[in-house]
Amino acid sequence: MENRQEKLFELLDKSGASLYALLTKLTLREDVAEELMQELFIKLSNHKELRKIGNWNAYAHRVAINLAFDWRRKQKRICLSLNNVPEIASNEKSPLSNLINSEESQEMLDAIRQLNKAPRQAIVMRYIQQQPYEDIAEQMNKNSHQVRALCHKAINRLRDLLERKR
Amino acid sequence: MSNIDENEILRRLEKLSQIKPTSESTERAINRARLGFTWGTVTRSYKIKSPIFKFAAVAVLLICAGYIIGRVLSPQPVDIEQLRAEIEASLKSSLAASCEQIKNELHQQVQRDLTEFAAQTLAASTTMTDQRLMELIRLIDAARMQDYLRVAAAIEKIEMDKTKLGNSLIALASRTNELSRNEQN
Repeated sequence: MENRQEKLFELLDKSGASLYALLTKLTLREDVAEELMQELFIKLSNHKELRKIGNWNAYAHRVAINLAFDWRRKQKRICLSLNNVPEIASNEKSPLSNLINSEESQEMLDAIRQLNKAPRQAIVMRYIQQQPYEDIAEQMNKNSHQVRALCHKAINRLRDLLERKR
Repeated sequence: MSNIDENEILRRLEKLSQIKPTSESTERAINRARLGFTWGTVTRSYKIKSPIFKFAAVAVLLICAGYIIGRVLSPQPVDIEQLRAEIEASLKSSLAASCEQIKNELHQQVQRDLTEFAAQTLAASTTMTDQRLMELIRLIDAARMQDYLRVAAAIEKIEMDKTKLGNSLIALASRTNELSRNEQN
């Protein structure tokens, strides 16, 4: 039990910021990312077979990606009133560019959500987290060629999905 | 012809990758996550290790069992309608007897109050009448006294006028005598 807690503290210190950044990128909302971050660590602390996990960091990132896209899927069913729409996380300053970017980002994330689990993880790790293919391959138990192919296919699929939406 | 090419998708993904949360919110999220799973671990270990929870669970089960047995063995609930009818009949009979008595008492009370009020009113009016009569007598006495004084003053004035007239008549007589004597001479 103590060991588990120590490992979780270590993970939080080492990867907490990157996990939170990933959740913010995938939800586009800091408040939701905060909620999901807490949920992620509760989930990890309640995991029954933590001993079997080899790479804690990779596992936590995978769970974070799944949590974020689960949240996006649930959000599709909820209609927010205009007054309750929170400010979307963005680096741009102009409200118009914020709006355009957020629209584009939402559209892109919704398309990513529709991908299968493996290509989705590959796309997120490669293009949103900007990890090298080798690292992704190690985390996904694949080789870098497989990851490249996975990403290529995922991009094609994303193009189809985005075009279909137009 | 495709509207969205690979570059456009990569550009959008690049934009997503550039989104960064603020350092304050990152710190807040990390602290919150730390608190969350620490608390979760504490409660879980407490649940497993502490015998208090076991005793509490047994106590809750015993209470539930007692409640269920009590509900099963308790007599059937009374018929509310029947109870209401009985209470109504009982109340009616007891109220009918006491109603006549209350009416008589009320009548006597009203009569007593009326008599007392009449006596008080009479006494008050008698006193008032006496006062008015006394006042009238005083006024009549005052008026009579004033009349006496006026009559006395008038009589005194007549007396004075009478004396003056006598003197004048004497003076006239002497003058007349004097004149007749002068004529004779």
